[in-house]
Amino acid sequence: MSFDRPWLLALGAIAVFVLTLLYRRAQGRVSAQALRYSNIAFLRGALGARDWMARSLGAAWIVALCALAVGVAGPHLRLPLPVADGSVFICIDTSGSMASTDVSPTRAAAAQSAARAFVEESPPGIKIGLISFSGDAELISPLSANRESILAAIDQIPAPNGATAIGDALRLAASQFPPAGHRVVILITDGVNNTGVDPQEMAQYLGDHHVPVYTIGIGTANGDVIGGEESTIDENALESYASVSGGAYARAQNATELRDALARLGRETTIAQQSVSASLGFVLAGAGLLIVTMLSALATGRLP
Amino acid sequence: MPALTLRDALLRGKRRPRRFGAGSPTMYRGDGYEFVELRAYVPGDDVRRIDWAATARAGELQTRVVLEDVALTLAVLIDDSDSMRVGRERSLLAAAQEAAHAWFATARGGDRLLRVGSDHVGAPHLPVATRFEIGSALTTARAALRRGTALLAIGDWYELDDRHDDLLANLGAWCDCTALIARDPWYDALPLGGFVRFSGAEGGTLRAYVGKRERAAFAAAVRAREAQIAQRFERAGWRAGALLESDGVASLRAAFGVGA
Repeated sequence: MSFDRPWLLALGAIAVFVLTLLYRRAQGRVSAQALRYSNIAFLRGALGARDWMARSLGAAWIVALCALAVGVAGPHLRLPLPVADGSVFICIDTSGSMASTDVSPTRAAAAQSAARAFVEESPPGIKIGLISFSGDAELISPLSANRESILAAIDQIPAPNGATAIGDALRLAASQFPPAGHRVVILITDGVNNTGVDPQEMAQYLGDHHVPVYTIGIGTANGDVIGGEESTIDENALESYASVSGGAYARAQNATELRDALARLGRETTIAQQSVSASLGFVLAGAGLLIVTMLSALATGRLP
Repeated sequence: MPALTLRDALLRGKRRPRRFGAGSPTMYRGDGYEFVELRAYVPGDDVRRIDWAATARAGELQTRVVLEDVALTLAVLIDDSDSMRVGRERSLLAAAQEAAHAWFATARGGDRLLRVGSDHVGAPHLPVATRFEIGSALTTARAALRRGTALLAIGDWYELDDRHDDLLANLGAWCDCTALIARDPWYDALPLGGFVRFSGAEGGTLRAYVGKRERAAFAAAVRAREAQIAQRFERAGWRAGALLESDGVASLRAAFGVGA
């Protein structure tokens, strides 16, 4: 918690102390309400011991004053909240190796299914865009908060074919993002960059602009052979893209892992620690409690 | 018929619980000369004291109760702790002292008067220096008083509990014991409402809310406590009554069933 006017907090603490003293002195003047009794232990049991009410009112008085003092000091709380103006680009590899069946039914189909999970898990208001890449990058869906159109666009992702231009996909995403705000790139690929611009440079560029790249490598440990060529993942490169940009890398060896990873990213990347002003809440709570306490005290003879 | 005096009531064993076997409840009956009353025969009565003429008239055995012209030992034990120094108009202790004066006023020439403290028994006019403690006072009374002593014990009896039962019973069998239980000054109702600050006569404070529910609970608890203490004394063979702050003498007479 931080405060706009911390000096008011110190002033408030002094005020609480002084007002509490005055309150206790006011109680002390209620001499008509004092009674000498022979045995307090018996009396406590006989009355049903509702002295907690008196203690509660005293405590409520102090809590109310403290809440007012904190409210006036301008408190800010840092809370994990859904990002209202967040933007996420999902970049899905559609190179020929994505036709491999080591991830059921194919890597491409599993990636599309996982992208749907991401869209469904992300909170409303988040804008999501879709990019597919093989020999070059293609914008399948621009940034949009319309879930139905995004889910429909996932079905438009082309069939696996061609090379792997990871850098081009990152560059296209960078060009589509708004200039500011919470922005995230999610990259799903199974291969090694083999054409287009250098993805390391693009990841660095995105990181410099506070756009983290979360990379997900898809494929089993043994990989697969497509068209006589072995399909493998350059995990070191994917980890590097993630680390230089401030994101994270995850490996998905089957459809479930991929779906889980994207669903988790759907929750995590769209929620951020945000500073929220709590002044109004503290002031209203303190004032409300103070009024209730004063009325109760007057009604029950606790104050003259 | 002249009104019964406290002394008469004491000698006749009025309102003394019948606990110690059959026979007359009084400890002072003997081969005396002063006729007191006729009453139904109780197994254990001396057969020489059966009044045959009265038996013939009544159709059942009748026993003549007579008194010895005995010299009594009258003792008083007063709880003079701070918890007795509370009250509405005056302190309960003042009412207790009033009752004690009335108790000693029943004495005749030849009677012996004693004051029981926590650790000694002495003349009634001597001040009791030590702090009152129930267990010690009862133990002192049992050790120092002669058999048959008429003991009047007055207090609020807050500290009385199961641990004292044997001592009470022992003393009840040894002496003719009467207990006056100081009635709570607020027996009828607590006078205050809302948040009330209570200060204890023997220390401690309590801030509590007193509403309708609390007043009812308090009244029930006060009555129950007084009744329980009276039962405890009566089980031990003591006569028991309430000491009212307003009139110590009347309280004493009421304990013996003697009118004003």
